[in-house]
Amino acid sequence: MEIKTENLTRTFRIGPSTIKAVDKVNLEVKETKFIAVVGPSGSGKSTLLNLIGLNDRPTHGKIFIDNTDTSLLSSAERRKIRLLRMGFVFQTFNLLPMLNALENVELPMALAGKNEKEQREKALKLLEAVGLGNRPFHRPKELSMGEMQRVAIARALANDPELIIADEPTGELDSKTAKEIIALLYEINRGKKATVIVATHDEKIVDVADTIYVMEDGKLRLKD
Amino acid sequence: MKLLTLCIRNLFRRKMRTSLCIAGVALAATFVVAVGATTARYVTVIREMNVLFSGQIMVVSKSAVVIQAIPITRGSFQERLAEEIKTEIEGVEKAVPVLFITSINLDQLQLIPPNFTLGMPVEEWRFMLGPTPLKNGVGHFPTNESSSEVVVGPSLADQYGWVVGDNVTVNGYNVTVAGILDTKLAILSRCIVMPLKLAQTIYAYPNSVNMITVKPVQGYPIANLTEAIEKEYSYLKALTEEERNDIIQPVLDQVGLWSFGIQTVVFAISLILVMTVTLMSVSERRRDFATLDAMGAPISYVFRIVLVETALIGAIAGVLGIALGSIASLILASLYTNIPLALFFPSIFEIVPPLYMLEMFTAIVAVCCVGGIIPAINATRMRIAEVLRAEY
Repeated sequence: MEIKTENLTRTFRIGPSTIKAVDKVNLEVKETKFIAVVGPSGSGKSTLLNLIGLNDRPTHGKIFIDNTDTSLLSSAERRKIRLLRMGFVFQTFNLLPMLNALENVELPMALAGKNEKEQREKALKLLEAVGLGNRPFHRPKELSMGEMQRVAIARALANDPELIIADEPTGELDSKTAKEIIALLYEINRGKKATVIVATHDEKIVDVADTIYVMEDGKLRLKD
Repeated sequence: MKLLTLCIRNLFRRKMRTSLCIAGVALAATFVVAVGATTARYVTVIREMNVLFSGQIMVVSKSAVVIQAIPITRGSFQERLAEEIKTEIEGVEKAVPVLFITSINLDQLQLIPPNFTLGMPVEEWRFMLGPTPLKNGVGHFPTNESSSEVVVGPSLADQYGWVVGDNVTVNGYNVTVAGILDTKLAILSRCIVMPLKLAQTIYAYPNSVNMITVKPVQGYPIANLTEAIEKEYSYLKALTEEERNDIIQPVLDQVGLWSFGIQTVVFAISLILVMTVTLMSVSERRRDFATLDAMGAPISYVFRIVLVETALIGAIAGVLGIALGSIASLILASLYTNIPLALFFPSIFEIVPPLYMLEMFTAIVAVCCVGGIIPAINATRMRIAEVLRAEY
């Protein structure tokens, strides 16, 4: 999946003041690249990722996915892209607490209309791939943070997305587990040929990224 | 992952709150079913009073207080007037003297009298009771005017354990049960039917009655007939079936209106309860809904999650409420009539008909679903960007 943004801007009104979380960002991401966006908290990294992931609409500017102007897409079409072509990994994992690991991974496939047998087989395979093949029936509260993030990554991969968007995926993890998660994301990027965009503070992610961008006060620039 | 399984798990994520919500709606449903079924039964019994005398003119004392022309206070006149009316008023095919005694006790909570006595000439059984048979074909209708034989309604027989051939005491007089009526009509099931002479003796109405049923000649204008009777006998009133219905209809309308009003208010309270609880639940799970949205879940899927949850609350509460409401209806029926509660259990589906149960179940589930609409709309509006921004 190729992504291009043109003067991407997102502002928020907080009381009387207007904050520019993303300010005229021009970004081009080629297929299968591993992109890292670094920057201090509040610099606009998550907002940028939400815009690219079609979870938010820009105030100004445009986002093109494979040369399609996403501002022209309906809400349902944007959902379809999110469901079938993108996978999301959040800092706080965002697993559904009432579903076990296997069911959490099956969910995107169920939403995509895959049959139950296919869902089950693939979810088990994905859990195996992220090292949780022995704990498919544990609920999130019975898993460690590292394990929850692995489940979240397996869930993000469920519909074979072309783009993985990970917002601070190692933010809640200890350094050893963080290292394992980074290795997993790198493997997905290289093995499955999926484009990966990661917002992070983690230097270890920066080490594996093809391109590193720095976000400061809503503005994006290539790292020197 | 089945949607239903997910919804059940979501519901019982907060067991106490869900249980209390279900209890609240079930309590409301109990009240609605009890009030609705009792009112409907009351109205049915009142209407049934006319079934026995359909198409006939009822003649009663002008001073008598009547429900559907059945006198519930004293107001007697000479039995011979029946014969006079038949011979002297034009258009009368038949006039039957009847003594109708209700055992209403105004000192007690009795909206419906627990039993009735119907005294009539023995040759008029069929005219008065229609094709009503005797239970199991056992026994007979008394044929002798001076006999002390009676036939009784099935509910009375069940209550007192009477069987054909038993000697029982009515108002201090010994009579023999000659048969048990096989009927579903509430009024007849609580009735002791006896020869007119016997009724006059037992209830001290010597040669008098308190009503005459008049069958008009076919095609004769009924209005002319009632007018002629009232003109000839100024101390009597003659009521057609329509007039009798008109007397009670405003009362029944009021009862129906109150019942509907109470049910509407109770349903509205249930709706607000379900809506409040579901709004809280959705608000607590905003991150889950936002995650579903981020994953690309269709709006209809998120909407269905909330609606199925509220429908489940309605279904569980509906089943509980209908069961409890049916029992409450029986208790109320027992209280209103002083008939033992146990006697009502076999006829539970007559007091709370299955169709009514189904209607109530549908209404309760529908109310809960309506209560889930606003929370469901809220759930579909959860966006991951906003939720995460609000959290940090």
